[in-house]
Amino acid sequence: MSYFLQLVFSGIVVGSIYALAAIGFVLIYKSSRVLNLAHGQIIATGAYIMYVLTVWVGIPIYLSFVMSMIITFFLAMSVERIFLRRLIGEPIISVIMVTIGLMSIIDGLIYLTPFGSENFSFPPFLPREPIMLWGTYLSYTQVAGVVITFILIGAFSWFFKKSTVGISMRAVSDDQMASMSIGISVPKVFGLAWATAGLTAAAAGGILGNITGLNFDTLHAFGILVFPVVILGGLDSLLGAVVAGILMGLIQQFAGGYLDGNWGLNGTGQVLPYILLLVLLLFKPHGLFGTHEIERV
Amino acid sequence: MSANRWLATGNYFTTYREEQRIFFTHIDRLLFAAFLTALFAWPLFIEASSKYMLIFDNILVAVIAVLGLNLVTGFGGLISVGHAAFVGVGAYTVACLAQIIGDQHVLITHAWPLMIVAGGLTGAVFGLIVGLPALRLRHLYLLMATLSFQMIFQWVVGFMDFFNQGQFIYVGRVYWFTGEVGRSVHYNFWYYALLTTVVVLGFGVRNLLRTRYGRSLVAVRDNDRAADAMGMHPGFTKVSAFGLAGFFAGVAGAMQAYLNRGAGFETFTLHESIQYLAMTIVGGLGSLPGTFFGPAAIKMLDLQMENLAEWAGHLLPSSLDLATGLRPLSFGLVIVLFLMFEPRGIANWWRILRSYVKLWPFRY
Repeated sequence: MSYFLQLVFSGIVVGSIYALAAIGFVLIYKSSRVLNLAHGQIIATGAYIMYVLTVWVGIPIYLSFVMSMIITFFLAMSVERIFLRRLIGEPIISVIMVTIGLMSIIDGLIYLTPFGSENFSFPPFLPREPIMLWGTYLSYTQVAGVVITFILIGAFSWFFKKSTVGISMRAVSDDQMASMSIGISVPKVFGLAWATAGLTAAAAGGILGNITGLNFDTLHAFGILVFPVVILGGLDSLLGAVVAGILMGLIQQFAGGYLDGNWGLNGTGQVLPYILLLVLLLFKPHGLFGTHEIERV
Repeated sequence: MSANRWLATGNYFTTYREEQRIFFTHIDRLLFAAFLTALFAWPLFIEASSKYMLIFDNILVAVIAVLGLNLVTGFGGLISVGHAAFVGVGAYTVACLAQIIGDQHVLITHAWPLMIVAGGLTGAVFGLIVGLPALRLRHLYLLMATLSFQMIFQWVVGFMDFFNQGQFIYVGRVYWFTGEVGRSVHYNFWYYALLTTVVVLGFGVRNLLRTRYGRSLVAVRDNDRAADAMGMHPGFTKVSAFGLAGFFAGVAGAMQAYLNRGAGFETFTLHESIQYLAMTIVGGLGSLPGTFFGPAAIKMLDLQMENLAEWAGHLLPSSLDLATGLRPLSFGLVIVLFLMFEPRGIANWWRILRSYVKLWPFRY
């Protein structure tokens, strides 16, 4: 029973980071209909910036968390300005290809830094001893990660429901023509969407780096695992991203906990999301909460 | 077309048949024949080291794979980021059979053309299955389907005992009429085998594009609803494009398994898939000549980056692994720059050059 609970808790921890990462995806897709395949790389960049600030520069960890979010905010904004801005109006296929190219570029740049090949871990800043909860162990870092994630998710939903900028972003996602005609600068909204996506990515990277340590291969795999999460939740739904993120975290943990080692199976946590995705695409392609713009061709 | 089929200075087509010709003038045909002969003949006169022969072989393997990818992505407009997995399916068809019946079995060593076709057909089956979501969905979702196929493939190969957990599986040397193909002529032999396959498949694709199916593929890419209204079947067209791409990839994979004398995990990763995509884009999306330029350009870029990294490695501290970083960086940059400044790829430069030569000494 406590094994089951342990899996549930760690599923929720991993899942909430997935949710945070998936929100970045949804933000960009919602406003500009671009699927940013380089999101995992932006997550990694954010995480490494936080590491540099914390360990090499020596800034307190809370401050460096916020600072890495701000730096990635501007980085993502400039990525949009440099690469994506001139592709507005191009066929969607070339926009996706550009994000694939970006993925490769950022990969290359990270391999050129010392971060590409080694493991790094953040200095501990919370009490080391785990929290006991109904016979399970949870570290303070994990709890803090989940709490920060939910605070950020709450802040974002408030931002979209109430603030002027958020409302204009929603307007652009609904109808670009109409929002242009009432005076919303659509390119500015695109830039902002990328920037906020960069912000959430850095947050996800920072939390993940604190929980599991920094290793480029892990971060890479994490970035690619976010795609099935977004499709499961529906590409343009924030709520869907959260629900699907936690669902995917649970699925992964259960697969790892109960399937691995039995019947000659290993690493099922890595592959099950994709099998699920392939089946989902056949039967419920727009995910759990996505808008149905089915065009049967 | 003017009555003179030796020279043409412009377009004088009066029938659709004329416009559909492969070679517009006799000079075109002669030049092409001379080019092909040169391609086949040069290894007889020039002794290339096996390192460079292997690079040529690898380019030709990539050309076969990219022919398929260009069909589905360039002509069909459906992105596939799982192409390396389809290549892997072809390679592992051969490798698994070698695993079951022994890598020196007669079927592997003597009936290798059959094995290559079998690899292609297995690839086609997987292509059709993965392409099934194309019946209902477009762009992004298809990308996801192919991506998940890539991941599932990597997992199956990397974790299953049957596939040696991604370790190298050996495939025996093949036999030709003159006996076993030995170590010294291995790469030359496969150069000829690959070149023949490329020529056959290249003409196959060129002719496919002139048929009803090929033109409906382009029509579906441009606007699938309009194509539907004109009596084409978009779903069928898309799914079968995936099947065809799978076939080409399977052939490429089977030949690669023979060329490398086995199959291993790291040749079929997501990274390789992206590299195939880069080749397609750099060559030119939806252009047949581009299918040949792209792989050559990217492989050469890779080679030069390796040389550069080796050269710079002497100047920089040894802890910096330049090669692993420079390669993704360079081809990522190439993809992005080509998409931003020359979306039609190297094939466009080729087109400009051709029309310049054709119209010379006039400029119009």
